[in-house]
Amino acid sequence: MKKKLRVKRSKYIDETYKISFKFNGKLYYGFKGDTLASALLANDIHLVGRSFKYHRPRGIMTAGSEEPNAIVQIHNNSPWTEPNVRATEVEIYEGLEASSQNCWPSVNFDIGGINNFLSPLLPAGFYYKTFMWPASFWEKYEYFIRKSAGLGKSPTKPDPDVYEHRYIHCDVLVIGAGISGIISAKTAAKNGFKTLLVDEKPYLGGSTIYQNSEYYKINNQNSGSWLEKEINEIKKIENLEIKTRTSVAAYHGYNYLLARENLTDHLPIERRKNKTRHKLLKIRAKKVVTATGSIERPLIFDNNDRPGILLSSAIKKYADFFGVACGEKNILFTNNDSAYETAISLIQKGINVEAIVDNREKVDSKLIYEVEKNNIKIFKGHTIINTYGYKRINKISIMQLSKDGQNVIGSKINLSCDCLGISGGWTPAVHLFTQSGGKLKFRDEDQVFIPNIYPSDQISVGACNGDFTLNSILSNVPKSLKDFLDIKNNVYESFEVLSSYNNSKRNIWLLPSDKILGKTKSFVDYQNDATAKDIKLALREGFKSIEHVKRYTTTGMGTDQGKLGNMHALGIISETSEAKMGELGTTTFRPPYTPLTFGTIVGRNVGEYFDVYRKTPIHEWHIKNNAKFENVGQWKRAWYYPRDNEDMFQAVQRESKAARESAGILDASTLGKIDIQGTDASEFLNRVYTNAWSKLQIGRCRYGLMLNEDGMVYDDGVTTRLGENHYLMTTTTGGAANVLGKLEDYLQTEWPELDVYLTSVTDHFATISVCGPNSKKIISEIFPSLDLSDKNFPHMSFKKTKIGKIHCRIMRISFTGEQSYEINVQANFGKSVWEKCMEVGKNYNITPYGTETMHLLRAEKGFIIVGQDTDATMTPIDLQMDWIVSKKKYDFIGKRSLYRSDTIREDRKQLVGLLTDNPNEILEEGAQIVADINKSPIEMLGHVTSSYFSPNLKKSIALGVVKGGKNMLGQKLIIPMENKKINVTVTDPVFLDKENKRLNA
Amino acid sequence: MLNYNRALSDEKSYQDLQIREVQPTIKLIIRGKKREFFSAVGKSLNMLLPTKPNTSSQGEDLTALWLSPDEWMVYSNKTVRNDTNEYEIEKLLYKNISKLNLGAITDVTDQFILVNLKGDKVYDLFESGCPFNFNEFRNKRGSVTQTILAKIDVIIHNQNESDINLFVRRSFAQHLFSWINDSASRL
Repeated sequence: MKKKLRVKRSKYIDETYKISFKFNGKLYYGFKGDTLASALLANDIHLVGRSFKYHRPRGIMTAGSEEPNAIVQIHNNSPWTEPNVRATEVEIYEGLEASSQNCWPSVNFDIGGINNFLSPLLPAGFYYKTFMWPASFWEKYEYFIRKSAGLGKSPTKPDPDVYEHRYIHCDVLVIGAGISGIISAKTAAKNGFKTLLVDEKPYLGGSTIYQNSEYYKINNQNSGSWLEKEINEIKKIENLEIKTRTSVAAYHGYNYLLARENLTDHLPIERRKNKTRHKLLKIRAKKVVTATGSIERPLIFDNNDRPGILLSSAIKKYADFFGVACGEKNILFTNNDSAYETAISLIQKGINVEAIVDNREKVDSKLIYEVEKNNIKIFKGHTIINTYGYKRINKISIMQLSKDGQNVIGSKINLSCDCLGISGGWTPAVHLFTQSGGKLKFRDEDQVFIPNIYPSDQISVGACNGDFTLNSILSNVPKSLKDFLDIKNNVYESFEVLSSYNNSKRNIWLLPSDKILGKTKSFVDYQNDATAKDIKLALREGFKSIEHVKRYTTTGMGTDQGKLGNMHALGIISETSEAKMGELGTTTFRPPYTPLTFGTIVGRNVGEYFDVYRKTPIHEWHIKNNAKFENVGQWKRAWYYPRDNEDMFQAVQRESKAARESAGILDASTLGKIDIQGTDASEFLNRVYTNAWSKLQIGRCRYGLMLNEDGMVYDDGVTTRLGENHYLMTTTTGGAANVLGKLEDYLQTEWPELDVYLTSVTDHFATISVCGPNSKKIISEIFPSLDLSDKNFPHMSFKKTKIGKIHCRIMRISFTGEQSYEINVQANFGKSVWEKCMEVGKNYNITPYGTETMHLLRAEKGFIIVGQDTDATMTPIDLQMDWIVSKKKYDFIGKRSLYRSDTIREDRKQLVGLLTDNPNEILEEGAQIVADINKSPIEMLGHVTSSYFSPNLKKSIALGVVKGGKNMLGQKLIIPMENKKINVTVTDPVFLDKENKRLNA
Repeated sequence: MLNYNRALSDEKSYQDLQIREVQPTIKLIIRGKKREFFSAVGKSLNMLLPTKPNTSSQGEDLTALWLSPDEWMVYSNKTVRNDTNEYEIEKLLYKNISKLNLGAITDVTDQFILVNLKGDKVYDLFESGCPFNFNEFRNKRGSVTQTILAKIDVIIHNQNESDINLFVRRSFAQHLFSWINDSASRL
């Protein structure tokens, strides 16, 4: 017969809106407003999963984010699948599919359940102890252990959802929208602070909003109704932003917080299209009010984990908020007044309460009297010693507690039930406070850790600060806020409060049983199956620190991070080792508070937006002409332009031949360009480059090497003197931003006396380099009025000119060893100039070439590339570029370092050319170079830095760095490869046109 | 004759947000710190350079943005011809500043792309990719900030509440524009 568990209409559940969903393949119904947990409970389903180690049947235990048991996989085998989702937080929607985890073949019949019977053989540290020997077997063990590890299944398909980040700056952030949070938000906002209020739940009001009891009143209204009015009021405040379904994940230093705003998880999948699933809010708050409330504690007794055992507060919420009875024969077990609140709620709704087991003796409490009036049997001074029922609780045994609470006395009483609510008092949710660096103190009266020392401008209020009763919240919260926000006007006058809660509590961390501890299973961490016995074992084996016990027993290491049981673990350690709780401390609370998806963390930084890319003004032309692209820094540079079915090698051979034989054209717009002006510009260049600049004539260009302070080559490039006090410096593509930063840094901090100004013009100009024997003809056709004679326009000089009305600059400089002209024109005209070059160059077979051909051409000429042939350990001397280091200059960056004992060593790695004995053999870049293959250990002399097949020289050429290479000209060396040895000869690094005939032709 | 190729090919419009490239506009970086520099620039431009950090000043033809204690960007309020890159204002400043060694004038007209963003959603867009705190900025007409948007360096100038000029380096412009459109499509 179907049970009637949906007991009473609740305004939070829309019973006119029926929703179907699947759990473990079976179709069920719930209503709009239900969570997966409440809908399952309404369908009389408690068993939802299996525990990690013993595969014990487990049910829904809580109604919130602290849930350790009811974690499910949703949408298994689809792109939307997600493991370890708490059923207590999933809002149901049409089409939701959820399934149990960690069980096979099904949650009802799980082979792994055998572990439960083997449990005497599986103590804490079982894996550490068992799989140690023999050490060499680990690889075999590992395979099986990995198979049984882990809970849900990670998704294997690409995530179809979109995630975003959002930066928020507010005056006051209020975390938690329970009664304390609502009061805080209103107080802050009404005093003009830009306020943000966030709560992880889809509704506001915490647990007070569904408190509809004659025993809790504010200004003569039921506390729930009072709060509802407050909420309606704050929704209208303009400078208050309210975010529900938003869970603060991390609280970092200086009030920087991360929160996840959940936007579509509650919608049917087809309605999520084109919407952001989660937003990661990056919040900078001037002040933070933490009002995260508290989490009810379980009680630790034998078999305290069966399906049907819930926190007493969860039973109350399912009844009050969702209108769901968790059972028809309910028993409550408590050490404080909270369970009586639950009982009163259940009675109100006509849900049967069989009995209450209270471990306290005699308590004067209005709540208890009310329950007694309803003829409910209360067992005072009793404790539960065991529970029964495999997949659902059906019976409990209770006994009387001794005076000291350490033993049980009298005779056993059995009570039957189908649901048991447990309440061990409350633990303030201090997680975020502690993450921020806050220090806790222990309050002995009710055995709780509460905030003590605040590391930033923040405050904790309400239950998370240890104020558990309506009385104390309403008297303390407004007062604390007044000081914290330094406000003059009270938003609240004094309250008239009725609060019937009696604070008395009998705290026993581990309840006694009639059996010896070794025969009991009293779970402390439900998800990881850590029992009180395991903790005591760890202590016996010598673990003292809470951090060690945690790792040994895995207490608190599940997806719930021990939100329920960690306090009991501490309590048991404290009792056993006779250390004070306050001195023991807690384990470290680490972010995130509840798990985040990777998508949330990554946000929109995926695919196209993973990294920034830069394009030259000529980019579109390259695409149209079939260029392949290479990433250089953040730039997309044309790499080579394959024709027909050419591969890279073939394309590069063709391109480089054309450049040497007739004409080539290269997009060099990516080179860094820095405009340097000022009366001290020449002196400035003297200080940053190794060579001398004072005598460079206006209109001439010069190559410079820039060193780091350590004397190592940092950057290089050609600088042109445009005017008396005006230079244009070029830098490497990848080094541009760093060079500008370094030079600006020197000007501001080391040489403030210099009259020099730098401005980046990298993006202002398109740079088009035309090279080859016919380059002069092409340039002269484009600039007919320009005198291109070697006398007027020699190598290493520049001219200002115009195309039509557009000003541009031409530098006759070369990175290829060919005669070559670089046209610098304003970027928006760059593509047009390029096209003009192509048009005019047609007659000369002008061939566009990419970075690969450029690298080959310069290698033929022995020109270095900073970052390829150098690696921050090469001095100019190592590069055999002694000629560029001025001996006369007083100083330049890195000068002193060039004369250290290590930098003048003769056997440093030095740049040399390498020729293979077999001219068709191409070396691999990065390959090691040795002299004696038989030496053991083999001595590495250096490595290959650049290597190509040169179609112009018709042989393979390479550059490399070799210890003492300078003095090894003509010497034979060996490059050992995986399956062969390649013989090479050390040569001069310049392979082509040593006399510079081509340049000056 | 050369063809002029703008960096961004199209304009986009969303509910409460319009995005377009404003081109061509003259842009100059002017740098200097001598007292004579300030008066010479003032006379040449007929307006004073802002000296308060992250502010701007606006004349009839030009706007000057504070970038650092000795660095400003001056841009033209209106678009100019695109068949020449000879600008009177540059020549004038060159004559009055550079020639007299008072400071430096550098043409950066094509270094930066000027994107105008208009509409109530402007700051929602910025919040999705920029860590800067716009709370004061948005209420202070003329505010300037140099920050990052979607990891890209930008200069943002508050012309008037929800009428924003954004400057981005030309090579980054297409990537930023793509990101802006992606983000704006979900606002």
